[in-house]
Amino acid sequence: MRFLYPYKMRFTLKYYYSFLSMLLIASCTSDDSIDKDEEKPTITVNYTDGFPQGCSVLTKGETYNFRAQVTDNKALASYSIDIHNNFDHHTHDDQVTECDLEEIKDAVNPFIFMENYTIENELTNYEINVSVTIPNDIDAGDYHCAYSVTDETGWQARTSIDIKITD
Amino acid sequence: MLKKTLSVWLCFSLCTIAFAQDSFLIKGAVLNANTLQPIDGASISRGNLFSITSNTGEFTLKNVKQGTYNLVVSSMGFTSKTITIQVDSMLKDVIIYLEESATNLDEVEVLGKSKKRELMETPVVSYSVSETFLEENRENSLMQTLSKIPGVSTINIGSGQSKPVIRGLGFNRVAVVQNGIKHEAQQWGNDHGLEIDQYGIENIQIIKGPASLVYGSDAIAGVVDIQPNAIPSIHSFSGDINLLGETNNDLLGVSAGVQARNHNWFYRGRLTYRDYGDYKVPTDQISYENYIFNLHDNNLRNTAGKEADASFSLGYINDNIESETSFSNVNAKNGFFANAHGLEVRTSDIDYDRSNRDIDLPYHKVNHFKITNNTTIQSEDHTFYFDLGYQNNLRSEHSESIPHGYMPKPPNTEERVFNKNTYALNVRDAFKPNAAHDMVFGINMEFQDNNIGGWGFLIPEYNRFTVGAFAFDTFEVTPDLHFLAGLRYDYGFVDTKAYYDWFPSTINNEDGSTSYVYLQRAQNKSLDFGNFSGSVGLSYILNHTTFKINVGKSFRMPLANELASDGVNYHMYRYEKGNLDLDPESSYQLDLDIDHTTNAFSIGVSPFVNFFENFIYLNPTSAYYETLQIYEYTQSKVFRIGGEIRASTTIFENLKLDASSEYVYSRQTSGAKEGFTIPFSPPLSSLLSARYQFKDLLFLSKPQLIADYKITASQDEIVPPEEKTPGYQLFNMSFISELNLFKNNSPIEMRVKLNNVFNTKYFDHTSFYRLIDVPEAGRNLSISLTVPL
Repeated sequence: MRFLYPYKMRFTLKYYYSFLSMLLIASCTSDDSIDKDEEKPTITVNYTDGFPQGCSVLTKGETYNFRAQVTDNKALASYSIDIHNNFDHHTHDDQVTECDLEEIKDAVNPFIFMENYTIENELTNYEINVSVTIPNDIDAGDYHCAYSVTDETGWQARTSIDIKITD
Repeated sequence: MLKKTLSVWLCFSLCTIAFAQDSFLIKGAVLNANTLQPIDGASISRGNLFSITSNTGEFTLKNVKQGTYNLVVSSMGFTSKTITIQVDSMLKDVIIYLEESATNLDEVEVLGKSKKRELMETPVVSYSVSETFLEENRENSLMQTLSKIPGVSTINIGSGQSKPVIRGLGFNRVAVVQNGIKHEAQQWGNDHGLEIDQYGIENIQIIKGPASLVYGSDAIAGVVDIQPNAIPSIHSFSGDINLLGETNNDLLGVSAGVQARNHNWFYRGRLTYRDYGDYKVPTDQISYENYIFNLHDNNLRNTAGKEADASFSLGYINDNIESETSFSNVNAKNGFFANAHGLEVRTSDIDYDRSNRDIDLPYHKVNHFKITNNTTIQSEDHTFYFDLGYQNNLRSEHSESIPHGYMPKPPNTEERVFNKNTYALNVRDAFKPNAAHDMVFGINMEFQDNNIGGWGFLIPEYNRFTVGAFAFDTFEVTPDLHFLAGLRYDYGFVDTKAYYDWFPSTINNEDGSTSYVYLQRAQNKSLDFGNFSGSVGLSYILNHTTFKINVGKSFRMPLANELASDGVNYHMYRYEKGNLDLDPESSYQLDLDIDHTTNAFSIGVSPFVNFFENFIYLNPTSAYYETLQIYEYTQSKVFRIGGEIRASTTIFENLKLDASSEYVYSRQTSGAKEGFTIPFSPPLSSLLSARYQFKDLLFLSKPQLIADYKITASQDEIVPPEEKTPGYQLFNMSFISELNLFKNNSPIEMRVKLNNVFNTKYFDHTSFYRLIDVPEAGRNLSISLTVPL
């Protein structure tokens, strides 16, 4: 059995304490001056006017108002809408519904809608409302509608909805 | 060599000697107990009986009368042995094993300083990792093995790949050096690990601080320096086979190595093969955002992989010259989690669950071929070191061909191909102008040529050249006080090459018209950089305590992707944009290290303070490009403070306790994310470890039981798009023993490890799969055997 030298122990503990206090100082003198935004924005179509709802069927030639509610604790910045085909069943939506999908097929002239928008004036509440006309010359079938929104800090929220386009 | 040994053995086992009744002949051989190699020139004596072994280790004693004899067997560098033999008609061949003696090492120490003493004297704060540590702690990749060292952690990508992180800085801020040449790998993406065979490594030196002075660009946060293995001893042959099995990912691994030397020439060779299935996580469901992935049999689908490595080297040594040329090839194929590679959620027709061993899309294949030559020439007061290296990296990333945005369905699965050639030359001259000074002058040169392919674009083709010159002096003020100062200048340029999309994108012009354009993603651009770096340090040894202080400035040249990326990273659902205005990163760091070691206990602290003038990181902006969030490479000031504490003690003779803690605090003090930390900040963590050595039992020699308890605090310091990670506690056990199954043979080393004993579900903040809420691997039992040849 070996014993430790008590005096040497104290000697080394001193370093330990000074190290700990250094860390404490560091963590106390930190970021109090800056109010960090650690909250993501939110996005939803789950309200009466929200569009499209999961498994919605859209008709070619018609014009629809795409509506979603977005919020943030500080300031909303931008949003985007992306409508792209799901002919290969690459993803399901993140809404609760499971939609009936058509057979897998190759795209010939698929509908592509990719648009970005900014939200001015540092709003914390905003309703996305974009009018989109479905062209007549595109492939009918399964599509996705993906919304995304960012706040000024750079946090992002997304949602994706299964839809169908028919003739 | 092996043949020779075998023939000696056969010779003795086949021909037994029967002589006249009253006069006998003693025949035998003397072998090295460790290597089983014949010992040349050993003496066997008893009074007037005397013999010297031949170069096959054989000896004969003639005309011996019947009776009992005590023979003394001795040889230079071995512990002498006395054996008792009964000489009569029943006498068989005598095989004598001699143990290598410690006096051999003492003789070396008289001439040079011990490695331990050298480490104490150098003002550089470094950490030496032994082969024993590597073997006892071996995990699935080299960096996972090293992550047990305080201050070292990893960014893991599944079970087989990882990136080095030192004090919270990773990617290209840690230089990995092997055989003196900077190892090129892992900079092509978050999902790209190191390409190094972790078997057959004898010694690694880790520097946890800025080390640009000697290592150049990239060594801004630290260095993992895999040292060349020791040259085998004269007339020796040795080898081993290691077998490894793991239950969590059904891994089977085998690695076999040999090394041999005659007088001047030596060679080494190693083959490693590992094959593993999907790894298991302690959950059957992963919920990421609003998606739910159900896991079959707890398997993280499609994370299987395989790796085949080969290396060979040939060397020559005489009194003045030492030269070794090494060839190595590392080849691996790794699958990526099928439901979400990065942030992209996907469903697929592929039946991933039909087998846990197949590697389906998405996966990558990497091949890393390397030739190095290390030559040392002694010439009076000067020692010249030449390191020459050629490396070829080939990585191809495959994923299902699907249309994205304006890109139509691609023709094949080959998403990205990178093919990079790197040529490096280092020259150093170390000399002693007088007894007190050790001076080193050196230059480093490196040329890189990166080519790309595949239908996805992220990093452009580029050529890059860097050259640096340095000088430093270690001044021995007194034997216990050393002072080091050094200065370095680097110059480098990067030429990026233009790249255009292979498909047209739709552009809505301001006048209402629409055009279809093959977008330019990268430009022909030439950029050059110059930078001074340096370091000043002091070490002072007071009895059992070593004090070190080191101040250094290090730098890192921006990478081609940081300068010139311009493309969609679909896996991460983001648009990555480079910035041609980036400056080289420069970092100032103050390191302290105090270590107090006696026989009974040891304690140490190594705090640091660090300031980055212009830290480069990929900043998520609030803007969009084609509906994808734009991430832009930006620079900001960063302040960091932290360190490690460690203590170990031997309470009873057989019980050793170790404890260590590590912590880093980081803040961006300017720029878009002012007030936030930097990406992948490791949380506060502590490791307690107890090791108990039992008495030898049956064929078990030096059996040891080791228990590790890791406590990690939650990480609430995040920067977009990271998630906060809760803390966790983890319990690992291992049992190590030598097995003396065959008498007179070197023992077999056995290691049984049980990781994550309680199958705890936890998240590692710095894991690649953390982003999609995938927990770390569940319980794993691994058994490893190392059999000497």
